[in-house]
Amino acid sequence: MIRLFNWFRRRSLERGIDRELQYHFDRRVADLSASGIPEAEARRRVAVELGLARVREEIRDVWLTRWFRDFLYDLRFSARSFLRSPGFTAATLLSLALGIGATTAIYSLVDQVILHALPVRDPERLVLVDWNGDDLITYATGSINLMPYPLCRGLQQQTQLLDGVLCRAEIEVNLTAGGDPRHVAAEIVSGSYFSVLGVGTALGRVIEPEDDAAPAAGPVVVLSYDFWQAQFGGAADIVGRKVLIGNHPMTVVGVAAAGFRGVDVGAVPALWMPTSMYADANLDTGDEDLLTGHTRWLQILARLRPGVSAAQAQAGLQPWFKAWLEDSTRRAGFPRISADHRREYLATTLELTLAPQGHSPLRRSLFQPLWLLFAATGVLLGLACLNVAGLFLARGSARGREIGTRLALGASRGRIGRQLLADSLLLALAGGVLGAAVAPLAIRGLIAFLPQDLAANALSGALSFRLLTFAFFASLAAGLLSGLAPALRTGGDSLVRSTRERAGTGFGGVRLRKCIVTLQVAFALILLIGAVLFLRTLTSLLAKGPGFDTSGLLFFAIAPLENGYSNVDASRLVRRLDEQVRALPLASSSAAARFAFLTGGAWSNKVTMQTDHRTVSDGIINFNAVSPGFFSTLGVRVLAGRDFDQSDSHPPGEIGPRSAIVNQAFVKRYLAGRDPLGVLIARGGSSDVKPNCRIVGVVSDMSYRGLRDNSEQVFFPLFEHDDTGATFYIRVRGAPEQAIPSIRRLVRQDDPRLPILWFRTLDDQVNRSLYTERMLAALSGSFGALALLLSLIGLYGVMSFVVTRRTREIGIRLALGATRVSALRLVLRDAVTMIAAGVALALPCIAALGKLIQSQLFGVTATDPATLAGAAVVLAAGALAAAFIPAWRVSNVSPTDALRLE
Amino acid sequence: MPSPRFPIPQGTLDMLILQILSLEPAHGYGIAQRLEQISRSVVQVNQGSLYPALHRLEQKGWLRAEWKQSETGREAKFYSLTRAGRRQLAVEKESWARLSGAVNLIFEEGNG
Repeated sequence: MIRLFNWFRRRSLERGIDRELQYHFDRRVADLSASGIPEAEARRRVAVELGLARVREEIRDVWLTRWFRDFLYDLRFSARSFLRSPGFTAATLLSLALGIGATTAIYSLVDQVILHALPVRDPERLVLVDWNGDDLITYATGSINLMPYPLCRGLQQQTQLLDGVLCRAEIEVNLTAGGDPRHVAAEIVSGSYFSVLGVGTALGRVIEPEDDAAPAAGPVVVLSYDFWQAQFGGAADIVGRKVLIGNHPMTVVGVAAAGFRGVDVGAVPALWMPTSMYADANLDTGDEDLLTGHTRWLQILARLRPGVSAAQAQAGLQPWFKAWLEDSTRRAGFPRISADHRREYLATTLELTLAPQGHSPLRRSLFQPLWLLFAATGVLLGLACLNVAGLFLARGSARGREIGTRLALGASRGRIGRQLLADSLLLALAGGVLGAAVAPLAIRGLIAFLPQDLAANALSGALSFRLLTFAFFASLAAGLLSGLAPALRTGGDSLVRSTRERAGTGFGGVRLRKCIVTLQVAFALILLIGAVLFLRTLTSLLAKGPGFDTSGLLFFAIAPLENGYSNVDASRLVRRLDEQVRALPLASSSAAARFAFLTGGAWSNKVTMQTDHRTVSDGIINFNAVSPGFFSTLGVRVLAGRDFDQSDSHPPGEIGPRSAIVNQAFVKRYLAGRDPLGVLIARGGSSDVKPNCRIVGVVSDMSYRGLRDNSEQVFFPLFEHDDTGATFYIRVRGAPEQAIPSIRRLVRQDDPRLPILWFRTLDDQVNRSLYTERMLAALSGSFGALALLLSLIGLYGVMSFVVTRRTREIGIRLALGATRVSALRLVLRDAVTMIAAGVALALPCIAALGKLIQSQLFGVTATDPATLAGAAVVLAAGALAAAFIPAWRVSNVSPTDALRLE
Repeated sequence: MPSPRFPIPQGTLDMLILQILSLEPAHGYGIAQRLEQISRSVVQVNQGSLYPALHRLEQKGWLRAEWKQSETGREAKFYSLTRAGRRQLAVEKESWARLSGAVNLIFEEGNG
């Protein structure tokens, strides 16, 4: 490094040397000439005398290579001494490689999911535009930054602040290109999308503003590079080919640049299509034109003008946005609201947040777990460094004589300290190389924990330059950290003492090593408690289950609207399939629901209830529509009233009472203390909602979005002619997997072009829904185990060392009549102090960290006394056992042997 | 004595440079001349080894260098002693005294 630095100074250095030597040369020549020697002869003589070329070379050496050369010597010396003690080297190398490898692997995911900017032009100028004012009038919440299309158009006019605005939505379409239809992820985007992002093509052209100018203006798609490669084998004649999106013909006009995967980490679109074609992507609700109406269905990203900050743009947009809001209150269909509400609505503002990484739900769900794991690996790496520092100190005492001798021979303390640093740096870098070598394996292992459809394509296990840089700096830090304590020790020790000390006693460092072990115990306990908490979270979620019996249960879903079915046809198909599946001999029972359980999504709104007075639920209630026999198929108990039957299904518009079933949680929260049966309810919370559904039954609670979810739920009957898709649940006789082909055949017979979504067992789905919990439990478990092991090794090491130093003392005590037990107690007291101090150090840290992890836990609090006590007892027991071995050895030493050691 | 000048013992050049510069700052040529004068042509200094030594001492922080006008009017690189250099000189003087004292002692013992 010093060499690099000098390289920059080299020219001025050379010039200085030349000037200096020239001066000497000229003066000498002048002096010799003055004494009568001819100038030519004088010049020759001076040149010989000085030996200019060699002098220059030597001076250069002084400045350029001295440090570097010394450091190389140090490294060579270190390498030689490491080769002489392979056991020590292997132990330290392994600790560091583990720590660095684990940290690098987790960092890779943190980088890819959280930190990495999109591969677009100037990603740091991208902002996500959000607005929450609509909630005031529609009572809808939980939208993921969704915006109406006209707002995007309006923002595009604000060119004084914004350098372009795009909008996009994540969709799924059925794509047919020659063979079977495939259900693929796609992005529906405004015409400005590619130009605002600054993404080009590998072939053909991108989607352009003209494609998006009017409804149905651009029946075109742009394929993603990966999809083009995988699905079309990279065919050069792809541009101009016709494909079917659902039943609508579209033309492939281009292939996006390689490496571009949309603005959403985790979702990999196969293709992009213009927003003007929303009807062909089955986004048509029939109520409203999505391009002019106020349905919120897209995310808006904007590019700031150079020199404009997000805050400035947000403030600058406000006057325009206020006018836009005023305008929106005058549109047809704007709900009637009170004057207060109206004022509140008009005071809402746009929010611009920097979004160099785009917009990603995967990031949202993994943000906390990944940072948590990253912090945990950081602690683990710290622990590994402490372990190595401890080992170095131990080795330092073995080398005490050598170092003392070198000091006596005139080596400076700085020089020897540097040597020790070179030792640890060399080890750490070697550990880093080893860690980086195993990191790709570890990363792939990590990705395997994530849901495959989400992560498999979007995340890679390859080592990138960023990752290697990270591993390098992690190693450097580890090297410094683990070498610092031993290096400082040499600075503090007196020369006389170290040479006077005898072999077997070594030089000092006991207090330092005890501190290190105390810290290790604390770190290990923190990781251990984390591991127990996450394991308990996973087991309590698994023990709780979804509220129904998952064994032998299969499910699959269809989305006929995406294949061009009309609502009426789709509804008929659902009913037909339900009957056919039920008739299969291998199905012991089956039922259908409009939305799938345990897949993360839900249908929800507020509920209006009419008892003796009218009330609106204060929270959002989850809904589903289910067929008769649904609850018995899943094994959900009907606690009061009855299940749905055929007579409950009424087509929309039919006058008369309708039926609903609520769950126990709903009754507890909203109908406590009264008979729920017969109460009238309806979806929605606005004043014009008429409660017309009579509660006919109460069922036990079941999970909807995920296992943690125990929300209030209301069920409505299926088959009311508005069933646009359905999820079928089938309880089968025998092995569920064997039933899949025959059910698949059944659907194929009905419509060979209809894709089947998620054909899985419920057991499988339960497992999938727990991926973060599983990842946290597995990783924190292994981190905890590793941490425990490392700290036990550390404790064992320092205890052996202490015991060796005290062998003579203990021998004398034994000779003077001390008992074995008292000798044992004497030694163990040290260990107990260290363990107790470590535990005392860890507990407040856990109390502080607990708040951060509480949201990831289930069925246990972060400061759960049983967990804390359990982990502390395990750690203390292990640590005592580790300390006991050397203590036992020394208490068994015979006094004569101990004295003869001298 | 067949040869009146003997080469300067290894390691003493640094000490001599420090000593000369402790009197007043000087440039390389000045130091070379002073070395010749002070040692009354007994010690032979290889002019070529002077400059690497100067730079080595500068790198160790014992000397400070700056470009100044010399007695001839041309710019020359003048060296002066730093505080650390002064300390180093004291250390070297002391250990030299001890070494030469010890050597003398041995010689006298041999004589006596």
